[in-house]
Amino acid sequence: MKLKKVEVFTKDELEAIHDASMTLLSEVGIKIDAQEARDILKENGAIVDDTNYFVKFPESMVKEKLKTVPDSFKLYGPDGSFSFEVNTQQTQFGTIGTPVKIYDPSEKKGVRKTMMEDTIQQIKVVDCLENIVCSHIDVWPNDVSYITIHSECIYQWVKNTKKPYGLGCLGRLASQDMMNMASIIVGDDDELIKKPRFIGFMNPTSPLHLPVLMTNGFEIFAKYKQPTIIAPEALAGASAPVTLAGLLTQTNAEIIGSAVLSQVFNPGTPIFFGTVSHITDMRTGNSAMGSVEMGLITAGIAQLARHYNIPSRGPGAGTDSKLLDLQNGYERLQTLMLAAQAGVNYITCAGTYEATLVEALELLVIDDDLAGMVKRAIEGITVNEDTIGLDVIKKVATSDVKGVNFLAENHTRKHMKSELYMPRLANRARRSTWIKKGGIDIVQMAREKVNQILNEHQPNELDTQMEAQLKDYMKKVRERSFDDYRKAEGLMVDSVTLPDGIEIREDK
Amino acid sequence: MNISCNKKKVKQAVNIVSIKEKIQGLVVEWDTDGLKDYCRSLLKNNEESASDLLKIIGDVMKFVGDQFEEEEIFLPELIGSAETVKAAIDEVLDPAIRASGEEKETMGKVVIGTVESDVHSIGKDLVGSFLFSNGFEVYNLGVEVTADQFISKAEEVGANVIGLSSLLTMSMDFQKEVIEELKKRGLRDKYKVIVGGAPTSEDWAEKIGADGWADDAIEAVELIKRILK
Repeated sequence: MKLKKVEVFTKDELEAIHDASMTLLSEVGIKIDAQEARDILKENGAIVDDTNYFVKFPESMVKEKLKTVPDSFKLYGPDGSFSFEVNTQQTQFGTIGTPVKIYDPSEKKGVRKTMMEDTIQQIKVVDCLENIVCSHIDVWPNDVSYITIHSECIYQWVKNTKKPYGLGCLGRLASQDMMNMASIIVGDDDELIKKPRFIGFMNPTSPLHLPVLMTNGFEIFAKYKQPTIIAPEALAGASAPVTLAGLLTQTNAEIIGSAVLSQVFNPGTPIFFGTVSHITDMRTGNSAMGSVEMGLITAGIAQLARHYNIPSRGPGAGTDSKLLDLQNGYERLQTLMLAAQAGVNYITCAGTYEATLVEALELLVIDDDLAGMVKRAIEGITVNEDTIGLDVIKKVATSDVKGVNFLAENHTRKHMKSELYMPRLANRARRSTWIKKGGIDIVQMAREKVNQILNEHQPNELDTQMEAQLKDYMKKVRERSFDDYRKAEGLMVDSVTLPDGIEIREDK
Repeated sequence: MNISCNKKKVKQAVNIVSIKEKIQGLVVEWDTDGLKDYCRSLLKNNEESASDLLKIIGDVMKFVGDQFEEEEIFLPELIGSAETVKAAIDEVLDPAIRASGEEKETMGKVVIGTVESDVHSIGKDLVGSFLFSNGFEVYNLGVEVTADQFISKAEEVGANVIGLSSLLTMSMDFQKEVIEELKKRGLRDKYKVIVGGAPTSEDWAEKIGADGWADDAIEAVELIKRILK
């Protein structure tokens, strides 16, 4: 059987958390700053207070709206040739983080600022990995203006990978750009809606708050049915109760409230029931992503997601280490393994360390290997007549030939690839062989793999007309000012020329 | 004569020790009402002046801060103590000092907040608590603070330092905006501007022309002490 899922709640405990979340939603509600979102929730049965922005969700409304949340969906790469399914049973692996620095041993500090070239390299490396199925804008291009990052990155995405891409729901203007560019790439809006290309990212702000920008962007992602991760990043003891049950109750309410909003925006919009919540270190006030409690919180969210029958997303490979050292290794595997054992359906943060603030392409390929190992672990042990292998045991044990073993048996050949995971990087050679081959450690091995990928990677050939259209679009984005964004998000009252598809109300 | 004078001094010293012990007890128990009442009664009976009480409270907060640094107490205990003290200062001691016409002693005035489009407050609040515990006067403007709000407050209170916090990569540029706005108004040299937050860095601070950057709340206090020297 497959590995039994780690559960952190009994049935009664899970019900208690659920009931408490419902009480929060119906009695306190969620503070939603965007008026359009409050209006549409009100039309759908929520109780809205426009003076303090709190929206209360009656339980009957929650039940009704959660019915249309899909339990599975597929994501596609730019040309549609690569796809993967997200459902409530399987586990997939992706990136996501906020790296603003990258590992660089030639630098005195061991890290340097991330640049567009690093963003591109990360996309290329993920394109060539076996187990990591999606990259997200996480390696932050410090050399690109913030207001054009989305359009510049989408161009690099279509050029450099066959896999889907993740983007933050950073306001309605940028999100609409993302959809418009994706429509140019895939042909039209219908194709984009039918076969989603992007994973959106929406962080409620704990406790119980949806800020304007994220909500505005979320609406656009929902309109185009691009699967969106709803993931509070509550910190136990700082932005949520220090008790894990309290944090889970609060974040469960945040996720459910946002899930209801997604279905009100557009019924059937796929979402991930997500978390990046972890703890506050009580000695420093810093967040601790490598903490064992983060694994427990992630397991709690996975169990709640199963209860609602919605695919889950949680962080794995989390570490607070500032080095590629043992702490980095044990924390990343501990959080990764626990997330997988808990049955998280989309495990993220591959390639990052120092609470995801730093990227290492070396870690990205190591995480791909770890993901393979973890996948094998959760497969558990298959037991049937063939795998018990009574015949082959008898045959080998009673053979007349001396020294006969199982190595050259058909049974071994038939089952070895499914039974044994073969790591690409972990070195199992004898010492003398290892020394002959340079005696290098796993980080150097990983670097060589990264170099090989980058040397051999072939960019996608783009249709010239499509590329020209994309470049035109990027030019338009570059010409915008900061104030254009403020106006579009209702942060500033004024008129603004926006790309097709956006209507701005000046009602803020 | 001499003997009686010494006796008086000894008595005063004993008094201060017992007052300090009493205040310390109230502070570590987060007994805000108790601390306010105690300060009020000391002032009423003319046992201590408001400015002397401020000094005693400063010593108590230094003791609490040292305990925190030695990991004998943890962050919630430090912040809870700081909030207790702040309430007593804001509601009892500051008004008393103002009424007496004395000038309040301070390490410096700091206006802090999280920049426009960002609603994250914890890191910035920690910096505020640490600064306060170290004797600074802190004006915490909250979150989503615009350039104009930062500058207006700094002008109003005669701040020495403006501290800009940002947790999101996408809100970092608004730190730069505040500096640009200060330049536009011809006020850039009047204030030291420091920046912080998870995605920021020393290079970033340099790039946008800030006067300093710190990685965490303890470093922020050191930074401000250094740049105000």
